[in-house]
Amino acid sequence: MSFKDKVKHVYETKYKLIMIFPIILLVLALLQIGIQTYTTGDFLHRGVSLKGGSTITINTIQGIDINGLESFLKEKFPTDDVSVRTLSVSGKVSGIAIDSDIQDKTQIESFVDAVGQKVDLKNTGYGVEVMGAALGASFFRQAGIALLVSFILMGLVVLVYFRVWIPSLAVIACAFSDITVTMAVFNLTGMKLSTAGVAAFLMLIGYSIDTDILLTSRVLHRKEGSVMSRIYSSISTGMTMTITTICVVLVGLIFVQSETIRQIMLIVLIGMFTDMIMTWIQNVAILRLYLEKKNVNVK
Amino acid sequence: MIPWKKIFTAWRVILLLTFVLFAIVAVQPHLWGNDGVAIRSVSTNSSASIAGMQSPAAKLTPLAKEKIISVNGAEIKSINDFYAQTEGLGPNRTVRIQTDKKDYNLITKEVDFNGKVDLGLKVYDAPTSNLRKGLELEGGTRVLLKPTEVVSQEDLDSTVDTLKERLNVYGLSDVTVRAASDLEGEDYILIEIAGVTEEEVKELLSKQGKFEAKIGNETVFFGGKKDITYVCRSAQCSGIDPNRGCFQAQEGYACGFFFSISLSQDAANRQAALTNKLSIVSGESSQESYLSDDLVLFLDDKEVDRLKIGAELKGRASTEIQISGAGSGINQQQAMATTLQNMKRLQTILITGSLPVKLEVVKMDTISPSLGKEFLNNILMVGLFALIAVSAVVGIRYRKPRVVIPLVLTIISEIILVLGFAALVGWNLDLAAIAGILIVIGTAVDHLVVITDETVRGEVEATDWKVRIKNALFIIMGAYLTAVASMIPLWFAGAGMLKGFAFTTIVGISFGVLIARPAYAVVAEILLKKE
Repeated sequence: MSFKDKVKHVYETKYKLIMIFPIILLVLALLQIGIQTYTTGDFLHRGVSLKGGSTITINTIQGIDINGLESFLKEKFPTDDVSVRTLSVSGKVSGIAIDSDIQDKTQIESFVDAVGQKVDLKNTGYGVEVMGAALGASFFRQAGIALLVSFILMGLVVLVYFRVWIPSLAVIACAFSDITVTMAVFNLTGMKLSTAGVAAFLMLIGYSIDTDILLTSRVLHRKEGSVMSRIYSSISTGMTMTITTICVVLVGLIFVQSETIRQIMLIVLIGMFTDMIMTWIQNVAILRLYLEKKNVNVK
Repeated sequence: MIPWKKIFTAWRVILLLTFVLFAIVAVQPHLWGNDGVAIRSVSTNSSASIAGMQSPAAKLTPLAKEKIISVNGAEIKSINDFYAQTEGLGPNRTVRIQTDKKDYNLITKEVDFNGKVDLGLKVYDAPTSNLRKGLELEGGTRVLLKPTEVVSQEDLDSTVDTLKERLNVYGLSDVTVRAASDLEGEDYILIEIAGVTEEEVKELLSKQGKFEAKIGNETVFFGGKKDITYVCRSAQCSGIDPNRGCFQAQEGYACGFFFSISLSQDAANRQAALTNKLSIVSGESSQESYLSDDLVLFLDDKEVDRLKIGAELKGRASTEIQISGAGSGINQQQAMATTLQNMKRLQTILITGSLPVKLEVVKMDTISPSLGKEFLNNILMVGLFALIAVSAVVGIRYRKPRVVIPLVLTIISEIILVLGFAALVGWNLDLAAIAGILIVIGTAVDHLVVITDETVRGEVEATDWKVRIKNALFIIMGAYLTAVASMIPLWFAGAGMLKGFAFTTIVGISFGVLIARPAYAVVAEILLKKE
């Protein structure tokens, strides 16, 4: 038996066993998120737009190299979210604003000192504002409720569409695992989530169900060929979909300069890899178990 | 041979092309740039406003905004030209400004504290399309507000919430409001807003918005949800008052507005108790009779309007009430604009209630976009690379130009459709919208691959093309309906970001699934059937 045949053999016969893989992933992910919540009080590292931070405003641009200052500060404070923007009054650039997610007073002081190495703060003068989150405290609660309702509605539509319980729940379970595992992996990168990241996680709901719907339609609604052959044809189509997306996301990660968009791309990339495991191992296994219960011959 | 005729006579293809055409007309891209500077705002009582120049209405599409073409005969191509021409002006001089609509003669005022002459004009480089760019893409106005007295954290938070709501009611969804403090612990509120005039912002933010309706010295109701359950903002029950209309006043014109509101039962009972004490007097004409005291509306302790109460309302707990007010201007058009703006402001205040504390504007300046100036060029280039990547993957998979070319064209058409819709409804392209467009493209690729696979291979037995297309559309509809269902709750979740994202995604995917993707299916059928 060639390696490919061996893999095929395991995939076709040991599908219950390999389902342990996505389950372990999910458990590890929940563990990571649990530990993170326990130690930091937050299930994600929140960036400046979600947590708040501080803005230092300097009312001059004379002798300031804005890009140089930004990269200098980013290098000096690699774990913090730093960005430099320009301020203008009646159309003329008149100053700069340095946003960062630093809220602690002593840390702000050392941050201001660092800025002082590049800008003559004594003579130009500056202001510091410590601010709260742009999206507010209620955002996460609202987003949480919205997500929950999202899952329920999505499940209802799947249920009405396919008219069977177990396969519909399998689709929802896949989307849930996908988002959870992606979140845990994202946490491990140490990046801080911005509002763009929130959007990316929302994208995953819509995205991750595409392959699941494809699989469920082909397996439950087609008559020709064996169930296994229909699963393979779904994999062939689904992998084309996923690989195309992954290529586009890689292009984005390489060429996009904006930190914000890169974060979206990274989250979608993690999500796509997770989705492959969740759809082609977890969802396939649940569907096969379901068909076995109904005494449908899979082979 | 490619059956061109067959492709371009298929109704789904014609439908797609028609929509794409509409979308391009709506966006009106000026691919080679747009000369001149557009007017962002005109300050009241400035040289510019005295000469008759006006702030653009918020509803105007970007390209329809008045554009300055020349100053004193010198052609204006960019914002730098404009500043070069207006920089060194002295007081009491005439400045001739030519716009794409009219010519104006401005007379400069005395120099201000900076030693400069201010014409009262805020301008920006003329937009190159009808797409509105949001805060992250274009930057906006940054306003720092300070409470005039010491407030509790609770009051500060509720001020932030009320301001957010107020700006949302005003139609400004692209706004961030947050509480801030300096290192000494003084409280501030920091707001960033895209695409509004500074005048409007000042008006809206610094007003505490304490609204009271009084009969005699007694308050009948306050602004806010407790007393007012509904404020009508549709054309049937709000607008320029047809009974009063616009008329010539001492200086220029004045107009009246009206809109109806619903009171809570408590407020209505209060009104009944108060009107019961009043006596009935006859009005100017004998048919009309009124109560002896008026309902007087106060905004921030200043009288806005005085309404006569019909005799039939004596002692009645009526929950339906009509609110009115007025506005003026130097000509009828301007009077009408001010009146409607006053109406909108009053409606906003009635809906959101007053701020717990009075605020003053400490600082106001324009801030550059957080995504950076180069962002748009960069994203266009990356978009191009991404399309090449898609073509490459699909090319390797299907090895047929007659699959790859229509597929890529369909994706491009979907992007045009979303942007066209954005331009048409005038919604701000912000980060949420970009994320939405990304997911539209993502699902487009997914669905087009499904269509291709179902049609190229199809079911072995189902040689019937109708069945193959039907199979493909079944999968796509399933994915579409679930995606839309999962976006709907996000639409209703309060924060603007979730709403924008849900909106873009639903609209984009709908255009894709209902118009673009079926057209691709038809083309795929025509091109691949013979093989």
